[in-house]
Amino acid sequence: MPKIIPAYLTFIIIFSISILSVKGQVVFAQESTPETSNAVPLTESPVDDEGGFEDEFEDEFATADQEVFDPLGGYNRVMTGFNDGFYILVLDPVARGYRWVLPDTARRGVKNFFHNLFFPLRFVNNVLQLKAKNAGEEFLRFSINSTIGILGFWDPAKELFGMEAHEEDFGQTLGYYGVGGGFHVVLPFLGPSNLRDMFSLYPEMQMDPVNYVENRSYNFPKQEGEYLGVSRQTLQALDLKLLKTVNSESLRIGQYENLKKDAIELYPFLRDVYEQNRAKLIRE
Amino acid sequence: MQAAKKIIINMLLVTIFSFSFGTTFLFADEISEIREMTKEKVDHVISTLKDESLSKAEKKEGILKTIDSLFDFSLMARLSLGKKHWTTLSTEGRAEFSELFVEKLKQSYLDKLDLYTDEEVVVDEAKLTKKNRVEVLTYLVSKDDKMEMTYKLYKTKKNVWMVYDVDVLGVSIVQTYRSQFSGILKKDSLEELIERLRSSGELGS
Repeated sequence: MPKIIPAYLTFIIIFSISILSVKGQVVFAQESTPETSNAVPLTESPVDDEGGFEDEFEDEFATADQEVFDPLGGYNRVMTGFNDGFYILVLDPVARGYRWVLPDTARRGVKNFFHNLFFPLRFVNNVLQLKAKNAGEEFLRFSINSTIGILGFWDPAKELFGMEAHEEDFGQTLGYYGVGGGFHVVLPFLGPSNLRDMFSLYPEMQMDPVNYVENRSYNFPKQEGEYLGVSRQTLQALDLKLLKTVNSESLRIGQYENLKKDAIELYPFLRDVYEQNRAKLIRE
Repeated sequence: MQAAKKIIINMLLVTIFSFSFGTTFLFADEISEIREMTKEKVDHVISTLKDESLSKAEKKEGILKTIDSLFDFSLMARLSLGKKHWTTLSTEGRAEFSELFVEKLKQSYLDKLDLYTDEEVVVDEAKLTKKNRVEVLTYLVSKDDKMEMTYKLYKTKKNVWMVYDVDVLGVSIVQTYRSQFSGILKKDSLEELIERLRSSGELGS
């Protein structure tokens, strides 16, 4: 008896496995038969099918048909128009001029410099999302680029050690913990955003080193006093932000115009692009 | 008796294993074939683009020929409009929509290539997502940027693998068009949509 049971069990297991695999073969066979028998060229009858094949695709893109909750739709449309105009009329020409003046290498260096300064933001959010390896790499990147990379103007961490940056912001951290985006908001100058990402702007601002430019006696030009009621310090922070924006725009001239060509209506298009891209970044 | 039993069991095991491994190997083979096929075509587009001996028109023609064999444009048109709207269209309406939309897609692809400078296309892994779907992950790598592009392919009835959608930085082209169309069709008629497509096509070219 004790000898038979294992043999019996083995037989049952093997039998069921073989049935399963035969079943699998049958499924494969069924799949391949209609393909060979229905050798109708796709172009000849592109619309005949109401069957499962099309439905499979339908499910994949069904989310696109859902109505988007957009209470600020009217405002957003106007603000999208404003931002678009601002980009085309002001930012783009300025960035083009800037590109003409400064060589590619210099602009890339400036971009690296600012990017390196944003290390705290990336580090904290990698930690908050429990991405220990990425946080460690960010830390190493900052150490290497600030020293060997001379204040971050170069990126030896990537070029020599193959360490890529791990972009994470507070909006992504909130998303990681299941906070939904909320409705879409288009911010003046800053462009598409949503409720969640808008709230994370505040902590992000706190971590933006540009806001910590200090009033020191050896700074030039002198930073005392006010100009048109705005303190010099704020003005300088603003200058730096402007430089950062113009510089990064100068490295991607033409991309926005190119993207815009895919739009039939600008606002819903940009909204969709933003939300899909954010969803992907949060998934990662 | 005991020995015979053992032999039979062993033989059974061997057959089962060879069956199951056989199918997986076949799949892995097919997937890497799809990856190679996609890589070959994308590389061909890039080499055409870089070829100095070709005129602009020749480049365009060569590129369109390559992407025609890789992209299932008519399926993309259908998916972008969605079944609900597609079924309400007449045969002529469908033909007209397809033609306009495919033209727009191709133009948009060519426009994107205009921005191409020194980037390099790296074809990463291909993975099976469903039984007849494969996604090929690629990167457009420039000096300081890395853009992720995913080609989504399906097996057509003719047993060829073709692209039905592309994700650029996680943004699906078909889905973006589809939600735009469904938004527009909430207020406007299909005829008006086709009219707008026609005028935007003229603006683009």
